[in-house]
Amino acid sequence: MMLKIENLHAGVDGKEILNGINLSMKPGEMHAIMGRNGSGKSTLSNVITGREGYDITNGDVLFNGESILDWSPEDRSLAGIFMSFQYPVVIPGVNNTYFLKAALNAKRKHLGEKELDAAGFLKLIKEKLNEVDMDSKYLQRAVNDGFSGGEKKRNEILQMLTLEPSLAILDETDSGLDIDALKIIANGVNQYRNEKRSFLVITHYQRLLKYIEPDFVHVLIDGQIVKSGGKELAVELEEKGYRWLES
Amino acid sequence: MSLSHFQTEFDKMMNRDYFSDKIHPMRQKAFTKFLETGLPTQKWEDWRFTNLSEITKENFRISEIQDAPINPIDLSEFEIDGVADIVIYNGHFQEDISSVPDGVQLMSGVDYLEKKNWEFNPAEHSPFDLLNTAFMDSGMSIMIDNGIVVEQPIRMIFLSSSEEKLMVSPVVHIELGESASATFIEHHCGNSNSFFENGSTYITLGQNAQLDHIRIQSNSSESINMANLNVEQFEDSRYSFLQFAEGGKLGRLNIHADLKGEGADCSLNGLALSTDTQHLDNHIITDHRVPHCTSSQNFKSVLQNKSSGVFNGRTIVREDAQKTDSSQSNKNLLLSKNALMNSNPQLEIYADDVKCAHGSTTGALDENALFYLRSRGLDVLAAKALMVRGFANELLDKIKHDSIRSFITERFDHWLTENTNA
Repeated sequence: MMLKIENLHAGVDGKEILNGINLSMKPGEMHAIMGRNGSGKSTLSNVITGREGYDITNGDVLFNGESILDWSPEDRSLAGIFMSFQYPVVIPGVNNTYFLKAALNAKRKHLGEKELDAAGFLKLIKEKLNEVDMDSKYLQRAVNDGFSGGEKKRNEILQMLTLEPSLAILDETDSGLDIDALKIIANGVNQYRNEKRSFLVITHYQRLLKYIEPDFVHVLIDGQIVKSGGKELAVELEEKGYRWLES
Repeated sequence: MSLSHFQTEFDKMMNRDYFSDKIHPMRQKAFTKFLETGLPTQKWEDWRFTNLSEITKENFRISEIQDAPINPIDLSEFEIDGVADIVIYNGHFQEDISSVPDGVQLMSGVDYLEKKNWEFNPAEHSPFDLLNTAFMDSGMSIMIDNGIVVEQPIRMIFLSSSEEKLMVSPVVHIELGESASATFIEHHCGNSNSFFENGSTYITLGQNAQLDHIRIQSNSSESINMANLNVEQFEDSRYSFLQFAEGGKLGRLNIHADLKGEGADCSLNGLALSTDTQHLDNHIITDHRVPHCTSSQNFKSVLQNKSSGVFNGRTIVREDAQKTDSSQSNKNLLLSKNALMNSNPQLEIYADDVKCAHGSTTGALDENALFYLRSRGLDVLAAKALMVRGFANELLDKIKHDSIRSFITERFDHWLTENTNA
């Protein structure tokens, strides 16, 4: 199992947000988690990636069989977990190339590979830029600084393609995108998809799922998965909304 | 250091016979004024956040001939490629290892004043201006004639190395004639732990002259560093100043920039890095006296541990100074909960057709950004270092000369390695 979430309970300041999540993902699978605002979607992705500020009161998260809840965010990243942020962060003054190169070299170092020099990195990143239809001028800008919503999301996918994670969490990657940007991002994801890589797609709407087809769809309500099914469940949700699933 | 101790040292100064007698009246006048005011206290508005006990608690003595170096000086640690060095050691000019590029006239402070027929009015903005005039020791002057463009940067190294509690008062005059241009670096360094430097720099830029001025304050973190910078700019001259300060237990930069000629541009920048109980203070005044000038103040501080800092920036736009375009920015990064920054950007505008902006922000590293970088595999230290570097890059990028920028960037990275703890 690549990712196994067992009876996960987590919250903030004594308020429980996740009430016993169970989820198993095999390599190569794409799972979608759908839910309304406040259902616990972002908490789930934050807990998996190790953001501080959450109390984990019960349960476990296993990645390739190992419990990762005590791991730092960087160790989770180096192990192969990646999250495309719902709100990518602007980092003033830090050049995008410099950042991407530092991140890639941290990963290469972790894998015992030789770190890339400037020329080697540039060659690699140019190929990846093409896959998300980004101009190389974005490399010279500060990280996400002055990027439009769509450019930020493309920059996230660019990072995914560069760091080559085995588990990619796409947190509301479709929000704020126009149809062209959505297609570009879906294309980047589909190209990256293979039998060894898994995706956890977190979304409010079915929009993105038209372009990247999940193997499984789970509905999250009040911190619990109340229904799981195939991709047709997403279509059903789009038609009926979430209310019919609420108790 | 009590006033009577200042008096003792002053008497020693006045007994020196190897300074021209013409300088004594100037010293005496300044010292008499100094005795009237004494050192500033925190009751003075301009010194509210700066405690001078580092000066009052120690007895410093003026540098004597025995404080000159005995052995050859090793400057390898301070080497910057391609610059011409003028070396001043514990207040003593080291002629044999100093040189200047063609087109630059280097002379002693006394020769300079002689050349000016002793028509020079030293600054009296603060008691430290007065002290500098009273005690000025290593006077050096650089003059560049009309139309001469000096490509090679000129650096003055003020090296302090002594077990003694020395007080040095260097004074530097820089005068650029019409359309002359140069790059000047003052580099304050050395390992003296109890050292009081009170330096003054006077800069005059003629019409259309251009000066890039970089001040590196890398002395020991136990030293005291008072810097008094007076700038006078005429028509269409361009002055660009950047201070990189990492040294000094107590550091204070006082700038008075007077824009006296239309079309002058004055850009004042500073990056201060402090840790432990260091206190680095910037007190900056830009005075627009005539129309059509542009100016900017851009100061940033990074504060670690219990260190503190001050930005007190004032831009004055006089009644006649219409069409002034000026900006003031002060941004500070607190790496510790115990660090303290006092920021006070002020505009004083008496003209009605001007464009002036100012702003100030002080805060810790953005937790969201930190998590973002860590989620990409960078460890905490690397992520913090990257963010601090990002914070400072805007200023480091202003340094035009590659070798100077590399030198300062290396110092910066070294500081980061030592001071970005988890």
